[in-house]
Amino acid sequence: MDALAQYAPILLPIVIIQLILLIVSIIDLVRIEKTNGPKWLWAIIILFVNIIGPILYFVIGRRNN
Amino acid sequence: MSLIQISGLKKSFQGTEVIKGLDFSLGKGKCIALLGPNGAGKTTTLRMLSGLMAPTSGTITFTDAKKGEDIRHFIGYLPQFPVFYEWMSGLEFLIYSGKLAGLKHKQAKERAMELLQLVGIMDAKNRRVGKYSGGMKQRLGIAQALIHSPELIMLDEPVSALDPLGRREVLDLLEGLKKETTILFSTHILNDAEEVCDEILFLHNGEIVESGTMNELRDRHQQAKIDFIFKTKSEEIETYFTNHELTQSVNIDGKRNSVFVKDIERARQIFLQEILEKNWPLEKFELSSMTLEDVFMKVVRK
Amino acid sequence: MIQWMTLLQKELLEMWRNFKWIWMPISFILIGVQKPITTYYMPQIIDSLGGLPEGAVLKIPTPTAREVIMQGLGEYTSLGALIIVLSTMGIIAAERKSGVAAMILVKPVSFTSFVTSKWAGGVLLMWLSFFIGCLTTWYYTGLLFDWVPFGEFLQAYFFYALWFTFILTVSVFFSSMLRTSGTAGFISLAVVIIVSIVSSTLSRWLEWSPAQLTSYANEILLDKGVSEYLLPAGLLAGVCIIILLALSVMIFRKKELAA
Repeated sequence: MDALAQYAPILLPIVIIQLILLIVSIIDLVRIEKTNGPKWLWAIIILFVNIIGPILYFVIGRRNN
Repeated sequence: MSLIQISGLKKSFQGTEVIKGLDFSLGKGKCIALLGPNGAGKTTTLRMLSGLMAPTSGTITFTDAKKGEDIRHFIGYLPQFPVFYEWMSGLEFLIYSGKLAGLKHKQAKERAMELLQLVGIMDAKNRRVGKYSGGMKQRLGIAQALIHSPELIMLDEPVSALDPLGRREVLDLLEGLKKETTILFSTHILNDAEEVCDEILFLHNGEIVESGTMNELRDRHQQAKIDFIFKTKSEEIETYFTNHELTQSVNIDGKRNSVFVKDIERARQIFLQEILEKNWPLEKFELSSMTLEDVFMKVVRK
Repeated sequence: MIQWMTLLQKELLEMWRNFKWIWMPISFILIGVQKPITTYYMPQIIDSLGGLPEGAVLKIPTPTAREVIMQGLGEYTSLGALIIVLSTMGIIAAERKSGVAAMILVKPVSFTSFVTSKWAGGVLLMWLSFFIGCLTTWYYTGLLFDWVPFGEFLQAYFFYALWFTFILTVSVFFSSMLRTSGTAGFISLAVVIIVSIVSSTLSRWLEWSPAQLTSYANEILLDKGVSEYLLPAGLLAGVCIIILLALSVMIFRKKELAA
């Protein structure tokens, strides 16, 4: 528990930022009409591939226009 | 007064000549239909006029344009399948195109609201274009073509992709626009052209095969035939038709007198009156006229 | 100029609506923060993985703050570049393919403005995201190790960003040349990788290559002083960027938009 309290100030911001990215990507995935590849696959990638998942979604999965 | 002058316009794709030298001019304030079957070169012609495509040879001159002036200022263009930034709202897109055409933000917004009203998508102005139906996109397309009050708007098959209701509405819209600007629109449907336009350019295999005002075309091609069938054969009747000033020619086949006339309305009236007065024994009469549809077919088959 | 601003505003608004302004900075933060954190917690990480076998001694010299921040920025050269290329490869190609470019270019819009405003939008997003990312790297390094002078950090940031601007411009160039964003991205990456590899293997002869900018930036970070080739490499990068942009406009103008 001590260790956790010690790490928290350092790691917490990172965790929060990561959460923001996760939430934004999920919101976008829900709202967008079409993705490159099936939507459910992107949902899995975003949820289960830490950090890289949401980034991958925005870079490759999101279809503009 | 001509607005735009096209001469010797040609376009080749990979050595194949698609447009084989067009010469025509468009009069100010007219509504002109570019008519032709699919593949005649209508879209290619419009794209060249709009500046999207460079002609292989030939010139396009705007009467009002100064030398070296960007002719895109004078033109509004609606492609056959208009595409928008789907993440923008209809209003945003109109303001954006207005500003690109040189309007100030305030002007662009006022004009955009005006046009949204005109084309009838005011209710959807804040909705994302991605959620628009085909008909709404077509209207938004017309609105963006009009945003900078261009002297000429060109519409590529504006009604072909619409259902009957949408088509009716867009045609009515065009009818209303005639007062504001010169319209050139392409279509492969003769009725649409006939309904809104004053003038027609028939395009076939990259050439203009026929052109003129509706009336000119009618005069040139429309030949009406009236068949009168009487109970008995009569010399008197035959001479009457043969010598009448409205008659162009007569075919006599027993009791049947087929009279070819130019002005079918008048001929019908006068002939029927005469028949009634003289009490000739008319058994049956039939009108048939060559429509623009027939002209179209004739021109295309040639 | 008014028109150019209108075009740029549209780019910035689009990036906001498709969340680029959120995910790009966050991605850069997450890339940059990894090195200082993992380096700092290395002993704990090894412990949590079961620890070292009895008797083995952990012989990892604790790196200096300067080394950490340099390694941190180093992470960007591959991952950051990849993100930059993938997010700009469609900047022109996609709009042309969808047909919306034709809708815009029937308006009296100059081709130069059309291309350069898109480029400027991309550059703005990249410089800002990258700055935020770098700043976190610098901050975390300072927090966990020692503070590296901010001025030196800024210099290093600038030359890294210049190299990334070169990469971004290559991507814009192929995007205006090719019909599909995928091929544009692929070829851009290939070009960037080749330029990097050739420059680093022949670094003795290609000291002025823009790809060397990151090594010179690293030298600044390691307090090894400013390389005499930094200026030529920087200038050459600038010249390359301008030429590539001019070529992009020329090629784009020649393309038949509506084919």
